[in-house]
Amino acid sequence: MSNIRIDVKSRTPIFEQLCAGIREEILSGAMAPGEALPSVRALACELAINPNTIQKAYAELERQKLISSAPGRGSFVSDDIRPAMGAFEEKILADLRAAVHRARLCSIAKEKLTELIDKEWEGTKP
Amino acid sequence: MISIQSVAKTFGDVQSLDKVTARIGEGSIFGLIGSNGSGKSTLLRVMAGILRPDTGEVKYDGIPVWDRPDVKKRIFYISDDQFFLPGSDILENARFLSSLYPNYDVEEALRLARAFNLPEKRKIQSFSKGMQKQTAILLGLAAKPDWLFCDETFDGLDPVMREIVKKLFAREVAERKMTAVIASHSLRELEDICDHIGLLHKGGILFESDIDELKSQLHTVQAGFEKLPERIRCDGLHFVRITGRGNFITAVVGGEEEAVRAYFSSLSPLYFELIPLTLEEIFIAEMEARGYDSGSFLE
Repeated sequence: MSNIRIDVKSRTPIFEQLCAGIREEILSGAMAPGEALPSVRALACELAINPNTIQKAYAELERQKLISSAPGRGSFVSDDIRPAMGAFEEKILADLRAAVHRARLCSIAKEKLTELIDKEWEGTKP
Repeated sequence: MISIQSVAKTFGDVQSLDKVTARIGEGSIFGLIGSNGSGKSTLLRVMAGILRPDTGEVKYDGIPVWDRPDVKKRIFYISDDQFFLPGSDILENARFLSSLYPNYDVEEALRLARAFNLPEKRKIQSFSKGMQKQTAILLGLAAKPDWLFCDETFDGLDPVMREIVKKLFAREVAERKMTAVIASHSLRELEDICDHIGLLHKGGILFESDIDELKSQLHTVQAGFEKLPERIRCDGLHFVRITGRGNFITAVVGGEEEAVRAYFSSLSPLYFELIPLTLEEIFIAEMEARGYDSGSFLE
């Protein structure tokens, strides 16, 4: 789990950085379904952040059905993360819309954007 | 659970604490912030059972702390002018403290001293100020207290030491549900370690809140429009401040992030960005909303 990086100087709350970091690990497949997440204690010590913040991030990811917790055994990546993925579609599309908007304001050609999308799409194929 | 119930304390004609009421949950790292003379140290001393409040009381899991050695044995208080036995080294202090604290772990104190790179056989009085602070922290942690109070202890630690101290606090909180109250006049010292923050001003708690909640409820919005909307208002959103230049506005908005995004998106801006606030900016905004001049609170 040492792939998660927390930037304490960032404006983004640590809680959100944690959620985003773990979500990325799960959606990218770096953490497989069923895999155990590090314990709150281990992650708190490793990242030097407040255990309560980690507890909260785990609760949020559980609410998003990305992970599940078994009392006394810890937290695990959900066996089926597809339902959770749908929830991010809206957010991703909104981000993309905003990016397209900004690109247009900066007079970046439409062709350049579509070319970029095609290239990235092929490049990130698993 | 620490419960502070309308605690007041006067020294001569100076009202140091004025009916302070707060609750600090088990396993919390609570940041007590306030300018010099706001009553932070007095509050910590009352909480530690060193000072007797004029009125009100501080209870630990329902038991008042005043005149209760059994409660005080579970509290460790690191004052801003740390006390060490005269002419002693770390080991001697740890042994002395172990006679007062039933759970004291002398071995742990020595382990921590090595982690901090502090010479355990040198007289503490010969240490630098920063090293003395580290010594006070490790001597306190080794007492395995349920409640640890630090008065400006974090201020002025170098970045490497801060990181070590944060890890140690995280471990104690995660493993034993230790509660820590850290007083500081600097928000930046507290931002990345505390989960709750209370602001003390002129002897009273002005407000107290969960940091993540604070941060998720207040945003800076920057938006540019082809034509500035005549009116920027929305039910459920609280506009703390709006400044504009031409067709570009910067606003501090209270409310859920999604609601803020949805509202601004409905105004079809040419440009829109939502930026989280730093704790310092949140405090300034909250202070202004409460009618205080923020300039006098924060350095």
